[in-house]
This record gives sequence, C-alpha cells and structure tokens, in this order.
Amino acid sequence: MRDALSRVAGYALGFASLFLIWHVAAVWVVHSVLFPPPAQVIAKAISLAEEGVLEQQIAISMQRIMIGFLAGSAIGIPVGLAIGSFRPVRLLLEPYTEFFRFIPATAMITVAVIWFGIGEGSKIFLIIYTTVFIVILNTAAGVSAVTPNKIRAARCLGANRTQVFMFVALPATVPYILTGMRLAMGNSFVTIIAAELVAANAGLGKMIWDARLYMLVDQIFVALLTLGLLGFVTDRLFRLAIYTFAGRFSPVV
Amino acid sequence: MTLIRLSGVSKVYRSLQGSDHIALHDLDLAIDAGEFFCLLGTSGCGKTTVLNMLAGFEQTSAGRIEVSGRAIAGPGADRGVVFQGDDSLYPWLTALGNVEFGLRMRRVARRERQERARHYIAMVGLTGQEHKHPAELSGGMKQRIQIARVLANEPDILLMDEPFGALDAQTRSVMQQELGRIWRATGKTVLFITHDIDEAVALATRIGVMYAGPASRIKATIDNRLEPHERDRTNDGFIALFRQVHGLIREEVAAATQRGAETTVHA
Repeated sequence: MRDALSRVAGYALGFASLFLIWHVAAVWVVHSVLFPPPAQVIAKAISLAEEGVLEQQIAISMQRIMIGFLAGSAIGIPVGLAIGSFRPVRLLLEPYTEFFRFIPATAMITVAVIWFGIGEGSKIFLIIYTTVFIVILNTAAGVSAVTPNKIRAARCLGANRTQVFMFVALPATVPYILTGMRLAMGNSFVTIIAAELVAANAGLGKMIWDARLYMLVDQIFVALLTLGLLGFVTDRLFRLAIYTFAGRFSPVV
Repeated sequence: MTLIRLSGVSKVYRSLQGSDHIALHDLDLAIDAGEFFCLLGTSGCGKTTVLNMLAGFEQTSAGRIEVSGRAIAGPGADRGVVFQGDDSLYPWLTALGNVEFGLRMRRVARRERQERARHYIAMVGLTGQEHKHPAELSGGMKQRIQIARVLANEPDILLMDEPFGALDAQTRSVMQQELGRIWRATGKTVLFITHDIDEAVALATRIGVMYAGPASRIKATIDNRLEPHERDRTNDGFIALFRQVHGLIREEVAAATQRGAETTVHA
C-alpha cells in the first residue's frame, strides 16, 4: 500500500515537472505561436473533447491498434511456439521472419494502401504486420530458453510429451510472449500514426495532418499529448498484466 | 535383490572436431533394493553421465542398463531425479504445485494429490511454506521441495546428482541428516552422486569410487556399516572409513589434476 502510494506520488511529481518545464519553455523561453504552453493545449483538448472530436479520433486509432494487435498476437504466438519447438518448422519459417522483420511497417504503408484502400483494411494490415514478427521472435526465443532440467524433471515425474509442452514449455514461455506483445504495442503506436499521417480518413494521425494544413498548432499538441498518455496507460496495463500472470518469476518487470 | 544393474556400459561423446571422447568404458555396477549407494569421483570422471543414462536422459554407447531386470527405455516415473541446481523447479507454481506436479500429470484426483503432497512437504520440514513460490524460498528449502516433489511421486529409485553441492556447509550438513532420516523412513533405493568424501561416508550404505576419466569405470566399492549415531565426523569408525576412501580417491585426484595440467599445456 505504502509502496503503491509512493509510486503514484513519484509519477505525479514527474508529470508535474514535465508540465512545468514545458510551461517555462513555452512562456519564458520560446515565446512563439508555434510552441503553445500546456494551459492552452489543455484548454484546446477540453474544447475538442466537448465537441466529441477528440474521443472519436482516439476511438478510431485505438480500435485499429487493438484489432491489429490482437490478430497479430493470435497469429504470432502459435507460430512462435511452433518455431521454438520444432526444428524443421524453424528452418522453414526463419527465412520469412528474418526477411520481413527488416522491412519496417512504415515502408509497407504505400503497398498496404494500394492493396487494402485508405480505410480500416490497410491500417489493420499494418498493425498486424508490425505485431506479428516481434511476437514470433520473442515467443520462439522463450521456448528455446526453457532450461533442459525443467523438461527432464517433468519427464521423470511421468509427464508425456504433450504434457511437457502444455504444463512446462508453455507456462515457461508466457513472460517472453508478454514481453513480445508489449514491444509490439509500442511499435503499433508508431505504425498507426505514420499510416494515418500518410493516408487516412480519420484517427489521431489524420488529426495532426489536418491541423498542420490549418496551422492549428495547439491541436497538433493535443494529439501528441493524447498519444503520450494513451501509450503510458496502455504500457502500465501491460506491465500490470505481466506482473499478475508472471510477476513472481518474470525476468521482465 | 539386485534392483539396478549396469553391465559393460560405455559412453562415447562425439565432438564437433570428430575426435571422440570416451567418458565411460566397460562399467559394471549392481545396486540392491534399499541400498543408499554413493557414487564418488573427481569432477569430470563421468559420474553424472552414469546418472543421466540411468534416468533415461542419455543413451548408452554400449552395454546394458536394467532396472528390475528390464532394460530402461527413456525417463520414467519409477526413477525420480533430484538435480543439483534449482532450475528444474517450476517458478510459476507454488511449493505445493511443484510437489504435486507428478501426481497431476498422472491424473491423481486433486484432493488425494494435495494430501500426498502435504504429507511429503511435512516430511521435508516445510509445512507452512506450501503457498510460496520457489523465488521466495532459500537454496536449502528449494532442494527440500525437489526432494518432496520426487518422493510424492513415490518412485522405486531416487537418483540424486550432487543435490547439496550448491548449498553452504551449514545447510548442507542439516540436509544430509534430514535425507538420512527420510531414507530410513521410506526405504527407497538411492543412487547419490557426490565428490565429497564426508558426504558419502555420512550417507551411504555402500560407496563406489570411480577412476578419474576418461574411459572411467568403478575402481572399488566399499561397504559402510556405520550406525546412524556413528555417522559423525569425530567418530573413530567414521574417520577410519574416511581414510580408506580417501586413500582410494587420492590417486584419482592426482590423475585428474595431471590431466588438467596436460590439457592446459596443449591448449
């Protein structure tokens, strides 16, 4: 309890100092319409929220991230488990993972738009793309990191091969899967904004792009602030999930 | 009655350079049911290889290993293994979850397996710690959990690979006494690997000394008829037996050291 309190207090102080430095920089150092102070940005955020515009853009971007992220993880986890468990599968699929992971999702935006159009299809494709390889790699690494003695112990306690996989290899890999998903979530934020900046009909990236056209600097900052907060909250939730499922032994937290 | 029989067992490891390393050559050993057999040898003599083959983790290159007259085929629940390190415990399970793991795999009903797990947790002196995870337990406690986990599965044979090797001297001595007590209470057949003469004299009913590798086998076996109360480092019988074993292993230590020095020169 005391620990939780001190953590909240630490975060509050950290965020307060961030806004303070921003305020000092904007009001006393820069003096420019191109760098609005926090009060102005927050006022703009409130007015956008009252109009319902902000919530709508958040909902659109987050929905794209969530669908793509969950679909990408749903593909990546079993493929990663198969790669980590079976050598022939690894040899067969490694060319794919080792080839595509060096082609960033942002490089695929144009292709995605040509193939799937300017709407949801291209965005979800890109989020799946950015999620799937990192989840595969982490999952496969997790499977191969299971110490041989864990498997040996299970075998001489009477577990068959299926049980070794279900009750030893899989739970031992969970922290690695969650780490892969956490990294993929970070990548998803990068990808969705890039995709919405380049070609979209809605979303936070589109909001930044539109604001640029009309020189609404404070609106750009609202989008940036929102992204930061969304990312922060999502990552905290993830860490909470990792801690809940794997906290006592996780190498991650 | 002979429970474990190794006859003419050899083990060759093929190295990547193509030069073979002969770890064991023509090793014979028979262990009776109910014995506490300590296999004693210098590091690198192949004693862990013997245990791994008996557990079914590794295959023999030549020779035959039988348990109750039947050749072994892979790991089995009749031979429980206690490992040296704690990396065989399941960190996502509680102490109780680890101890009942084997019973769960063999589909024993929850109520019965928890009862049995608790019985063996009590036997290793960890009642009250059932709901802690391995990360919350000390090194000695983790080894107790490993022992309870194997006992709960009720195997005929306990294979122990330097189970107390990573513990401090104090804890190790306590664990040796506890293991002696548990062995007397359960009457299991134990193959215990160690390089510690003290430990072997304190625990064994029979001690097998191995030649220093490569191409190792059993050099001699010595009966240990000391009573439990005589198994004390200050006891005359204990000291006499220690001397006898020490005399046998001294040359092997010298040979191992010599070999190590040669390897260093070649490298």
